[in-house]
Amino acid sequence: MKALLWLPLLIFPALIQSNFILTIFTFSFILAIAAVSFNLIFGFTGQLSMFHAAAFGIAAYITSLTASIFHVSFWVGLVPAICFTILISLIIGSICFKFKLRAFYFAVVTLAFSELARLVILNWNSVTNGTLGLMVLDKPFLWVPVTGLTKIDGVFGWYFFSLAALIFTVAACSLVLRSWIGRCFAAIRLNEDLAQTLGINIFRYKLLSFTLANTLAAIAGSLYAFYTGYIEPNYLSINQSLDIISMVLLGGRSSIIGPIAGAFVLTGLPHVINLSGEARAILYGLVLILTILVLPQGMIGTLASWRRAA
Amino acid sequence: MLLEVIELTKRFGGLTAVSDVSLSIAAGEIVGIFGPNGSGKTTLLNLITGILAPSAGRILWKTVDIHGHSPNAIAAAGIVKTFQNPQLFLELSIYDNVAIASHLRLRRRLGVRRVAELLPWRDSARHAEMAQRIDGILALCRLEGVRDRTAASLSYGQEKMLGVAMAMMCEPELLLLDEPASGLGEDEIRTLEEVLRDLRDSGTTLCIIDHKVDFLARITDRAIALQQGSVIAEGVPAKVLRHPRVVEAYLGRQHARA
Amino acid sequence: MLQLLVGQTLNGVIVGTLYGIIALGVTLTFGITGIVNFALGEFMMIGAYVTWYLFDVAGLPYPVAIFPATAIAAGCGFVADQLLFRFTRNNLINGLLVSIGLISIIEAAALLLWTTTPKDMGYVLSGAVRLGGVSVPKMKLVVFALLAAVMFLTYAALSRTWIGRAAYAYSQNPEAAMLMGVRTEVLQSGVVVYSTALAGFGGALYASLYSLEPAMGGLYILKGIEAAILGGIGSLIGALAGGIILGVTEAVGSIYLPGAFRDAYGLIFVVAILLYQPSGLFGAER
Repeated sequence: MKALLWLPLLIFPALIQSNFILTIFTFSFILAIAAVSFNLIFGFTGQLSMFHAAAFGIAAYITSLTASIFHVSFWVGLVPAICFTILISLIIGSICFKFKLRAFYFAVVTLAFSELARLVILNWNSVTNGTLGLMVLDKPFLWVPVTGLTKIDGVFGWYFFSLAALIFTVAACSLVLRSWIGRCFAAIRLNEDLAQTLGINIFRYKLLSFTLANTLAAIAGSLYAFYTGYIEPNYLSINQSLDIISMVLLGGRSSIIGPIAGAFVLTGLPHVINLSGEARAILYGLVLILTILVLPQGMIGTLASWRRAA
Repeated sequence: MLLEVIELTKRFGGLTAVSDVSLSIAAGEIVGIFGPNGSGKTTLLNLITGILAPSAGRILWKTVDIHGHSPNAIAAAGIVKTFQNPQLFLELSIYDNVAIASHLRLRRRLGVRRVAELLPWRDSARHAEMAQRIDGILALCRLEGVRDRTAASLSYGQEKMLGVAMAMMCEPELLLLDEPASGLGEDEIRTLEEVLRDLRDSGTTLCIIDHKVDFLARITDRAIALQQGSVIAEGVPAKVLRHPRVVEAYLGRQHARA
Repeated sequence: MLQLLVGQTLNGVIVGTLYGIIALGVTLTFGITGIVNFALGEFMMIGAYVTWYLFDVAGLPYPVAIFPATAIAAGCGFVADQLLFRFTRNNLINGLLVSIGLISIIEAAALLLWTTTPKDMGYVLSGAVRLGGVSVPKMKLVVFALLAAVMFLTYAALSRTWIGRAAYAYSQNPEAAMLMGVRTEVLQSGVVVYSTALAGFGGALYASLYSLEPAMGGLYILKGIEAAILGGIGSLIGALAGGIILGVTEAVGSIYLPGAFRDAYGLIFVVAILLYQPSGLFGAER
């Protein structure tokens, strides 16, 4: 049934001729992947990780660099990016969860690792070109029925490509969350001590959640790099992490699709209302604060509870 | 012999909470451990279930030493406890609470093949099987009617029963109950006794820790008395309760002499 | 070489006390409310910019300018407390996130008001003193002395007066403290306001030594948190000690390793400390 919700998005480009709007949607789709995946570790497992933007950014760099240095396709470049993300997630996750770091300390340690990663990328000029960033000139190729091997370029191509990636992400999260794994995440979020007594290996499931979330963020980052054609160290900044957190809080952290709504609003709004960089930052800050104080369930969560009450 | 505790000691800095405690529990028994507050009952429980690490001594579960193992590993091995202050997943429904507790059961039945459970078309089959099992446990714990209510909406007595239901869903061989009768009215205690006897009849060994001696006397086959971290008496409940040191611990030296 | 070492060490100590004053605010807020006010760096920035404005633009003498600057920073802290933190008292993650949101707002406001062009204050106190064979500007010594004094006074006040005992009792057992008549709401607000005052004061002193830009807030809160964790969250002496250790490590490290590594020391300290000695160098088990 829920699959029908995607239908409007699929036929949308036929109705709306504006390239500008379709571009905003494409950006929203890609950032929504980052938001939905962040919600895995934050909303569903209850851990505030500040490493998400780092996973996003590191993968962007690895995919782009592999593709350009070794002259391979996007897909081949994606492989080392995902492998590295899984590896680094297992290492950092093991460190954090083995030592049973709670709430605030987990946020600080993941922040520390995120900043370290950003500093490495910022200063490793020979490889990453430092603050100047890198141009990503390649585009992904995809085998599509009818046209065969097509280059994903141009507004329509990217719209459907990123939408497909988003659908894949949501499907993957849905499979995981509806299974016993999702129940373990919820148990850890709600009452860790009880979960342990019931036989749930807290370390293993936190690690799984963290790794899966970062891996999906890696996919988002790689897509973002190839879409915008440009990567820079700011992809890993704390601000990027905060943007993603704001999207999740605004959209609602108790559902899989809530963060998608948040991503759309926060990506679209600054374009709809023409805002300067500073005004955008103030807006994001206000959104973060207001959602926590006034709308703790986010937009989708609040709608859902109205529907239940009715 | 299912569980053997050998010279178990736990020190917190200068305080010795459990001192050289040795006891054993055989399959099918209902054993009671009692003592005044501060006698080390809960600490002993936490040592057995892996929440605390012992300072000295050993804990043998089916002849394997389990001291130092993590709580979830010990639960997987077959020892599950309930909490004195009921610990629940308050935001979730009763059904979901027990569903989470089915974790170990799923793992035992399927092992690595659990991964197949991720496939979407397994949904309905899985749900039907689990629902049947959950309803069975809820009925056993006299909680059938409240299946879909939130855990936060339960009365205190029902919360305690839910704790027992969740522990039972883990299919323990040994169920440790931490003060199950505390805070319950007389009626609720009778119901609890019925449930506990049903549990034993279905094959679970029980160890009940409480300080309500009359409740323990009625339900247990064997009783162990603790005071200040040491075992002071052991045996048939009626005899243990009349043991001079036990009487002294509960009522004071004057009564013991009388 | 030795001169360079001594010089950098002294520099590090002074920067370290600036880290320390923020760390003190972090440790106090965390110890008593359980929340880390990530926006403390922004309050330091407010203190710095207001001091610059009063001294450079309005022409007030420096010692006079410091007080309104600190007061304004504290006032903003009070407003933030009443509008925001008051509603997140019991929820740590929410408090954290709210303070992060506050950072964006304050920093963006500062950008709008003052732009990224660094602001330099004119000389407050010129002249230098020879110390250990190195020439140290007098103003740096003054800053060091003032910050250290404030930190020791805070420590003394908390360990000897009833306010301190109430705060300590609250941090150990909030419910019991409340039942004993400790005005917990006042205590929590008070801690938030005091820590922003400390930050503002630090900022006012910072302004006399370095150039100002809106991004300084973000930098200093990170250092402050690192120093607080290094010294031990909950330990007041640890805040100063942690700050100085961090400052000196960064300054001396820059002699041997490229400048790019500067920010890495603090991050590595944090990870190492939390893994091996979570209570910090001076902290007790909380």
